[in-house]
Amino acid sequence: MDTSNPSVFVNAELLRLYVGRRVRAVIQVLSEGNGVILGKSTDDNQITVKGSPPFPLSKFVEVIGIADTDKSIRADVWTNFGDSFDTSTFNQLCQFANGEFKHLFI
Amino acid sequence: MYASQFDGNAAFSGGGFMPSQTTQAPDHSFSPAKNRDVQALLPLTVKQINDAFLSSDDKSNFVIDGVDVNNVKLVGMVRNRAGRITDVTFALDDGTGRIDCSKWVNEAADSNEVEGILDGMYVRVHGHLKSFQGKRTLNVFSISACSLQLMCMISIPLRRWDFDMKYLAYRPVTDYNEITNHFIESIYVHFYNTRLRKQQSSSMTTQPQMTNLSNTPVKGYQAPIANQYTGQAGGDSWKSLEQMVLDFLQLPSCDSERGAHRDVIAQQLKVPLEKLIPAMKNLEEEGLIYSTTDDYHFKSTANG
Repeated sequence: MDTSNPSVFVNAELLRLYVGRRVRAVIQVLSEGNGVILGKSTDDNQITVKGSPPFPLSKFVEVIGIADTDKSIRADVWTNFGDSFDTSTFNQLCQFANGEFKHLFI
Repeated sequence: MYASQFDGNAAFSGGGFMPSQTTQAPDHSFSPAKNRDVQALLPLTVKQINDAFLSSDDKSNFVIDGVDVNNVKLVGMVRNRAGRITDVTFALDDGTGRIDCSKWVNEAADSNEVEGILDGMYVRVHGHLKSFQGKRTLNVFSISACSLQLMCMISIPLRRWDFDMKYLAYRPVTDYNEITNHFIESIYVHFYNTRLRKQQSSSMTTQPQMTNLSNTPVKGYQAPIANQYTGQAGGDSWKSLEQMVLDFLQLPSCDSERGAHRDVIAQQLKVPLEKLIPAMKNLEEEGLIYSTTDDYHFKSTANG
């Protein structure tokens, strides 16, 4: 049982609040190359993800890692979420998990 | 063994009546509300389990949001999986924290279930929450990758005079929306247990006559509560006309000898009389309301 190092659900707007901390975000991959992935966040902004995914990425990807700036994540865990994902519901969840129901998450 | 104990007790208490031992046990297990809560499978986050209050007796009873917790549903990523002949252990990381899990492997079905579960995979687990020497662990009943079994039924007419052959095709389709869904469900259940349930219990106490009844009217009154909990179609806004009439007639203002005229009910509920009459007839047939001084005045049976 260990809750000392949670990864917070974030979209681009919430990412700013967690620089230096562990976060998780779902992105839609826009471009890939040189260890940098450009993705669209669930609130329709751009996020840069650094790191090298161990497998080819699908359209939607969940990344978990450290927020190294207010617009980028250094990812160490990658999960392909496939080619269809409900981003707007996920975005709502990000807001709940950082707002009224934050205490259930971090 | 049992017989000798019984003899001793009978000899010292001088009869068969031993309140200190016999009355407590049945009381404990015969609270229907508690039983239902215990059986419920609660969707939770690991953080909630970590914050859960552990009631002091050594039976490891967890309390979350005022509800006894035993069986839980968690969704997260598998870490540090270690398989042995008799069991599989892993840590489940749902992003809010990690909890150690173990699953006993008794039969071939069990080993098939855990074989496909690997580190880094998103899984849904159902299990029993345990606490041993302050450490909280999960005894897993079932584990499955976050995927959804899609069943499609294909109907192919073979020959014109032949019946349709139906093929059932099962295809696992990975659906990561289940992760979002699980956390939203956890939020909803937390919200229900902390707010909605309290609101309902306080509205029950303002109508004390309701709590004393154990016949049909109470069941009818409670129906929408159950409906809210499951979060089925309609949710809070769902309320049948029958229920509205019943609620209206149970207001203190209708608790007079004559009850309320159906025209007044129609006016208050803003429904046309031709819709109201069949609804009231249903309620009357169910024995939930009755006509009083004439055929137009009605009272709720709950009001006496």
